[in-house]
Amino acid sequence: MRPILEFTAVTRAYGPRLALDDVNLALEPGELTFLVGPSGAGKTTLLKLINREIRPTSGQIWVDGIPAHDLKASRVSQLRRHVGVVFQDFKLLPRLTAKENVALALQVGDLRISDDEASERATDALEAVGLGDRGSSFPHQLSGGQQQRVAVARAVVGQPRLLIADEPTGNLDLETSWQMMDLFADIATFGTAVLIATHNVEIVTRLQRRVMTLVQGRLVRDQPAGRTGRMAWLASS
Amino acid sequence: MAGVVVKGHFPRRQIVQIVVTNVSRYLFRGAARNWLRNIGSTAPALSSMTLLLLLTGLVGMVGFALHNLEQAQAAQASLLHVYMRDGVPSADVDVLWDRLARDPRVAGITYVTKAEALARASRMPGLPQLAAASDGNPFPASLDVRVKSIDDAGAIDSLVRTDIAVDPLDPTSYDRGAYQRIQAVLFGLAVAGTSFLLLLGFVAVTVTMNSIRAAIHSRRDEVTIMQLVGAPRWMVRGPFVVEGAITGALSGALAGLITFGLAVAGMAAGAASFTQFAPGVTVTVAAIAAALVFATGLGLGSGSSLISVRRHLES
Repeated sequence: MRPILEFTAVTRAYGPRLALDDVNLALEPGELTFLVGPSGAGKTTLLKLINREIRPTSGQIWVDGIPAHDLKASRVSQLRRHVGVVFQDFKLLPRLTAKENVALALQVGDLRISDDEASERATDALEAVGLGDRGSSFPHQLSGGQQQRVAVARAVVGQPRLLIADEPTGNLDLETSWQMMDLFADIATFGTAVLIATHNVEIVTRLQRRVMTLVQGRLVRDQPAGRTGRMAWLASS
Repeated sequence: MAGVVVKGHFPRRQIVQIVVTNVSRYLFRGAARNWLRNIGSTAPALSSMTLLLLLTGLVGMVGFALHNLEQAQAAQASLLHVYMRDGVPSADVDVLWDRLARDPRVAGITYVTKAEALARASRMPGLPQLAAASDGNPFPASLDVRVKSIDDAGAIDSLVRTDIAVDPLDPTSYDRGAYQRIQAVLFGLAVAGTSFLLLLGFVAVTVTMNSIRAAIHSRRDEVTIMQLVGAPRWMVRGPFVVEGAITGALSGALAGLITFGLAVAGMAAGAASFTQFAPGVTVTVAAIAAALVFATGLGLGSGSSLISVRRHLES
């Protein structure tokens, strides 16, 4: 099976400092993978490279067959329609309702989608994340967990092949964090590759999914699902 | 019974309608809403651009009038009116005509009677009233002598001014160096006007660029989110360019209207006081000037915001 995401000898430098150093990885469809490592290990840099917020200094990055390493600025939006992104701080537009935030992601990607269709699909996505009745609420009227669910609905409404999440539980309580993880697991079940950068040791160890560990920009460990060992060092990071 | 595959047909017209609706929403309606929201930061750009465009329109019309004046002066300078003495015998006029006709510097001669001079004067602003106020016809008959070169007008003037047929008090229309003086003044005015407009243009473009830059910074989060959810570049940048175009168009419309109004008012005032307001400036010319001012505003607004967006908005 062709990987949805493939890094080949990827290096990213900020001046003399290497944020990522010769990273090689591949993600298959339907795979839920955690990306862990201490602060400053390069997790966010790796996610930004996938979404082409930054370019690699060297190496190749293929996202669903698109060469992110060699993409013109004018074509970045095409790549981003293949990748759903969930942020720690949700990044919802405050002047739009939950449903409008979700519908926006659909219509900016395809202008042929009518308001009715966008509204219908946004409602479906919100129902899938358990917020079918809060579509008309504005972000400030929702709790942190609900806002994160809206962000997930926005990320998946366009049915991307890859979903990346940067510390998605960072602003959530434990119970809500588990609900979010269930949601990500459901999404992966439908064939979307999910990559989650997190510090949450309990979630990573209990879920027993694939774990990739970054330390000082190097991918030092890649443990397959079900073989996640203890990560005492992570707890102290 | 075998199944029949029925292909869904989505009308193309409906797709076009949806696309137009979405483009209108994200590009134009969004820009208009944001423009109104940011009216405070846009006001300096709006006022400076209006001022620039108004001055451009006025300077343009003055320049057009001066150009017409210069053309008229050039034609006038090569045409020497040799005024005949009242009651001069026609034989004396014929002698003078023959002298001039033989001169190689002369291109042509026309005799203008007193009646023709009066008729000509009646077409010039202010003169009919002057004629009506005096007893009889105050305008003299003349020989209108067209010289081949403007430089020869002085020599012809010297040749004829002592002739017996010529009015000794006001012999000719020759004014030494008048044309050159007008040309020098016009050149100076053109240089000063252009420099002034360039300076004002620079100020207006800079102020507009800064107002768009402020708009970009105030909506930085929104722009980032739009980019991250996959909005194409035109959808992110377009509204800012449209905002600049709105500023330019409004400034242009306002300045164009004022330019037109001032020109029409000037023409009306000129007609009332029997003076010519500005040679060649008519209502049509004023309307064209107003349209040009509007188009300039639209171009300046869109252009300066496009430069600002390219500078301050990352892909």
